[in-house]
Amino acid sequence: MDGGFLSYFSDPVLRAPMIGSILLSFSSSLVGVLLFLRKESLMGEALSHAAYPGLILGVALCGVYLGDEADLPYVNAFLMTGAFVSAMLGLKLIRYLQDFAKVKQDAALCFTLSFFFGVGILFASRLQFSYSTLYKQVQVYLYGQSATMTDFHIVLFGLLAIGSCLVIYLLRKEFELFLFDPLFASSMGLKTALMETLILFLVGVSIVTGMRAVGVLMMAAMLIAPAAAARQCTVSFSKMCFFSAFFGVLSALLGTYFSNEISILLKTLYPEARLTLPTGPLIVIIAACFCLAALLFAPKRGAVMRLVRLFLFRRACLKENILKALWRQGEDREVAIDEIFGLFNVPPHTLKRQLNGLCREGFVIKIHPQGYKLTVDGVQKARKIVRLHRLWELYLADYVGVGKEKVHASAEEMEHIITPELEKELDALLKSPRYDPHSQPIPEGDS
Amino acid sequence: MENPYSGLSFFSVIGLFFMRFFEFLSGKLPLAGLATDEVQVIVLSAIGISSALIGAFLVFKKMAMLANSISHTILLGIIPAFLFSTTLEMNLPVLLIASGIAALLTAFFTEALHEWTRLQEDASTGIVFTSLFALGILMATLLTRNSHIGAEAVMGNVDALHPDDLKGALLILGVNVTAIFLFYRPWKLIAFDPAYARLLGVSVGAMNMILLLLASMTLVGAFRAVGVLMVLTFITAPAMIARIYCNSLKPLLFLAAGGAFLSAVSGVALARHLLSVYDLPVSTGGLIVTLLGSTYLVCIGVKACQKRLQS
Repeated sequence: MDGGFLSYFSDPVLRAPMIGSILLSFSSSLVGVLLFLRKESLMGEALSHAAYPGLILGVALCGVYLGDEADLPYVNAFLMTGAFVSAMLGLKLIRYLQDFAKVKQDAALCFTLSFFFGVGILFASRLQFSYSTLYKQVQVYLYGQSATMTDFHIVLFGLLAIGSCLVIYLLRKEFELFLFDPLFASSMGLKTALMETLILFLVGVSIVTGMRAVGVLMMAAMLIAPAAAARQCTVSFSKMCFFSAFFGVLSALLGTYFSNEISILLKTLYPEARLTLPTGPLIVIIAACFCLAALLFAPKRGAVMRLVRLFLFRRACLKENILKALWRQGEDREVAIDEIFGLFNVPPHTLKRQLNGLCREGFVIKIHPQGYKLTVDGVQKARKIVRLHRLWELYLADYVGVGKEKVHASAEEMEHIITPELEKELDALLKSPRYDPHSQPIPEGDS
Repeated sequence: MENPYSGLSFFSVIGLFFMRFFEFLSGKLPLAGLATDEVQVIVLSAIGISSALIGAFLVFKKMAMLANSISHTILLGIIPAFLFSTTLEMNLPVLLIASGIAALLTAFFTEALHEWTRLQEDASTGIVFTSLFALGILMATLLTRNSHIGAEAVMGNVDALHPDDLKGALLILGVNVTAIFLFYRPWKLIAFDPAYARLLGVSVGAMNMILLLLASMTLVGAFRAVGVLMVLTFITAPAMIARIYCNSLKPLLFLAAGGAFLSAVSGVALARHLLSVYDLPVSTGGLIVTLLGSTYLVCIGVKACQKRLQS
């Protein structure tokens, strides 16, 4: 490749797969948001399999009317129409099973997808002999073949992307209402059945148009992974659409780029092996990696970030507890480190680290290697913690009516959580009290 | 050897099959003497009954889509096994172990994403199986340089079955039936009242794991014959048909297994009939799936009509 990265957008051979997959991922990840929020992500998988008999039927009709050697655009038109009709039939069946036959959703999906697929296979086994060239096209639809995309596909996927983008943009208010509270939406006079049909119509359209390029597998994946990743990053519907499209486009870009580059690399390394890296699966894996990263490391909802926050909170609590313990030993007293170790049920090295941290922050001063003492700041902070503790105890005892022998445990936790605003409220509510339920003095506040 | 079934129509196929089958049981007919149609019937009904039994529990435990996941990710297990041989006719133990691991991994990841990262269940199922399947395809194309493996695993090919497959299929059936006998009570409890099951000290995790392993085993047994996708009808449809008529589990299991057996026999016979009378070669697997599926649709249709007439 001499043109480098940009040649993926200018070179007539390379640009169709690249731009095509990007546009396709864009629209399917947008539609995926709707599906994800409906908690029906697996619908994509079911419908893409349900489209299979339609493909076969399309081949049959095309073969009857145009013969085995028909022009590709016509073939595509036949196949897509057939696939779409059959996907919608599949949808109807799923809904019928769920609503009237009272079948659980998972069984309904599983039954429909395999039943339709089986019917497709049945017809295919007859057709593959009579229209073998056309049948090859069906295989392309199943597994996808992004390398053979042409400019025709760019236009098609472009239209699809613009269309789904427009629909979602124009109906964003309605979708938001419907997705987050369908009951409320229907009481507002929104036609919820119509909304649902519209969502699944969009899903059907993107599956049917996209299958040819990336295969059934990738269509199912691109409807889920970017949306799931986007959900981790935001709570607003419009931002979620934005993030989802971003993740989808990025995975398509990287997937196409790397599949091509690695294939070239493999060709130079092992010329006789004829190894290639298929594009569709690579895009799926990259999208899944984005999703996993978002699930783990998203600032607010990421699993790892939650653990980190928990860890930091525990550390902060421990620090405050150390200050409190030092304060209890006497504001001006120097406390030996062994004495501190004796007060906590925490490994000594952890305590030591926290003590060093407190020294750095200026709350505690190290008098000599084995002894610590609170600074002025430290005394103030410790008093504040004790104040919060006792305020909360008093509040529980006086206002909530908890027995005063039970209030300590809750206060041990709340002392780390109560914000200055809450402290003010408590102070006002309790009328700046002097003593807690155990007749211990409550230290004065800052102001 | 001349196939005794060539040229026969539907009922004569069934008649001849049972005659020859009893000859086989009484020892007059050697194993190698079995015609392909007979092998197909036996393998397909063994797989059908296994799937129907395991499938009933999967459907009641709302794990049908997990079966769909496993049927995709099994490809990951097939590939290492594929490396040891050149065709899909590889040794069964390797395949069973590999796909069992793949199934457990799939279930584990799906559950882990759902539990630990609080991803909604449908999305976690979808993401896990698509990415593992994608990984499987990548490895398959790189390692085996055979894009055929995917196609054959998805579509299956009944006509490629031969007498050696009998042993595997019957073994799988045997293990499944034994497992149902052993774990009937705990599975039933878990499916219908998990809280009570836990109270009685049933280990829900272990029971689910065994069920998953059996499911993966059944899928492995099936993929050469009918492919991993069509077997999902074998798993869901018999239980769903039986559910229309049965309100308790034991008769339901018998009805489901019986239905699966009937559909296998009639499917093979019908395929033979189409070939000999109309000269129409069709996929037997596709035919059986279509039969099972349409039977279910007819059943719920009839049921709906009955309801309408009664009210």
